[in-house]
Amino acid sequence: MTNTCGKKEDFPIFKKKVNGKDIVYLDSTATTQKPKQVLDAIISYYEGANANVHRSVYKLADEATELYENSRTNVSDFIGSKSNEVVFTRNTTESLNLLSFTIGESLKKGDHILITSMEHHSNILPWMRLEEKGVKLDYVGFDEKGHLDIGDLKSKLKKETKIVSITHQSNVLGTINPIEEIGKMAKENDSIFIIDAAQSVPHMPFRMREQYDFVAFSGHKMLGPMGIGVLYGKYHLLEEMSPFNRGGEMIRNVDFHSVIFEDPPIKFEAGTPNVEGAVGLSAAIDYLKTIGMENVRSHEKNLTSVTLRSLEDLKNVTYYGPTDVEERGGVIAFNVRDVSNLKKNLEGRNVIVDHLYHSHDIATFLDDKNVYVRSGHHCAEPLMRTLGVSGTARASFYVYNGIDDVQAFVNSLSELNDVQ
Amino acid sequence: MMYNDEVMDRYQNPVKNGKMERYDIKIDEASTTCGDKIVLYLKIDGGRITDMSWQGEGCILSIVSTDLFCESAVNKEISAIKEQDELAFVENFPIKISPGRINCVMLPLKAFKRGTKEK
Repeated sequence: MTNTCGKKEDFPIFKKKVNGKDIVYLDSTATTQKPKQVLDAIISYYEGANANVHRSVYKLADEATELYENSRTNVSDFIGSKSNEVVFTRNTTESLNLLSFTIGESLKKGDHILITSMEHHSNILPWMRLEEKGVKLDYVGFDEKGHLDIGDLKSKLKKETKIVSITHQSNVLGTINPIEEIGKMAKENDSIFIIDAAQSVPHMPFRMREQYDFVAFSGHKMLGPMGIGVLYGKYHLLEEMSPFNRGGEMIRNVDFHSVIFEDPPIKFEAGTPNVEGAVGLSAAIDYLKTIGMENVRSHEKNLTSVTLRSLEDLKNVTYYGPTDVEERGGVIAFNVRDVSNLKKNLEGRNVIVDHLYHSHDIATFLDDKNVYVRSGHHCAEPLMRTLGVSGTARASFYVYNGIDDVQAFVNSLSELNDVQ
Repeated sequence: MMYNDEVMDRYQNPVKNGKMERYDIKIDEASTTCGDKIVLYLKIDGGRITDMSWQGEGCILSIVSTDLFCESAVNKEISAIKEQDELAFVENFPIKISPGRINCVMLPLKAFKRGTKEK
């Protein structure tokens, strides 16, 4: 029997055959597949409870509102917060942009924002836009094993540093950053502490801590539908912030020239919200709770450990990030050295070539074997620059992957590796 | 192994690879999506290309496409190359290209069109 944590049978997409064979999906860092339980919840919402929320007074609208708000409570229980501290957004990117356009706007010339060189563009670009008003963006570096340089962080944490925004788990290196410790340092410095938890909340037990001011993550990366994301914010901070979008639903009272906004979190949810998304995310959380987040984490650790040890045996394959699975998640960025005679041919004519296979070529090669990995810069170009590569291929795991997927991946990769 | 023999042979033995010392036009094209960096060197006589070569780094598809492009451009009018149909260009590539890789094959034609806009 194949050892999968969440049963593969729960995921209808794995019935799909390509060229008559099963697919090996190793791109859950980009988005996850959806179990039937999530799809059923969405359909049953539309079939049995669809109405606009927070508005009308009839029974169906009450039911829709209750489902939406129960979903919010399920999310808050899952991360250990209060339910009025959970704002529904479209995704992590929108959650972080919300912060940039609210607390970010209150920053002044000379203020600093501290992020790291291993951030996804979604935790770089919302802050970079503030450089136009004279805010300085600092980056904490990492060592050759992909560990964040805490000494560097300490030296860059200055009295001007108003915001510290850090990924909990890198979407490329897999590195799990010590956010509790970093959060304490940020709070001692009176900085706002923000966590990009897009790759951590879906994959490990996550509990809210006093030092976390804001936490952002996406539903689609944790078995939920696309288009639903979460921003956790400390209530008093959400209360002090201006709204991000304005319009329907988020007001208490509107006159011709004045408005009183609703309390958080509704203040930040202008317009008709993504109710099906919230309901689907809630069903995804129920599914994950049935497995248990400790089990999700240990399952991924096991798959990652087997994969890393196998990759270490392939002499032309390089992987990035920590070697110890205790320090990393189930995402593995890698490259394969091109050992064909290209080098010999071209070096004779003093032509410089990149001796690594291009990551797109690796991904196309694996695609031919029905093994689906991501390739390119993974929305983390500054990180690629730090690694000194133009891109990497990347395999990542989730609850539905089993050791059979690892074997299919490693076997395919070894064929590429062996070519002389 | 990867792609077919024609593509792999061209990748390993490109015929138009190398920097041109004396050129009339140099086109720098850095692909925005995947970090490929290709430079085209053109020698022209009026509106006609007398020689073209390339230098740079890229995936197998962009390198092979660029090398084929340089070779086939010799003795052609710049205007005729620019008027090429993009779909036909992709279809003429030695192997079938999946939608996700069309940009790799299109790299030289896009660079050429951009770099010879004023010519």
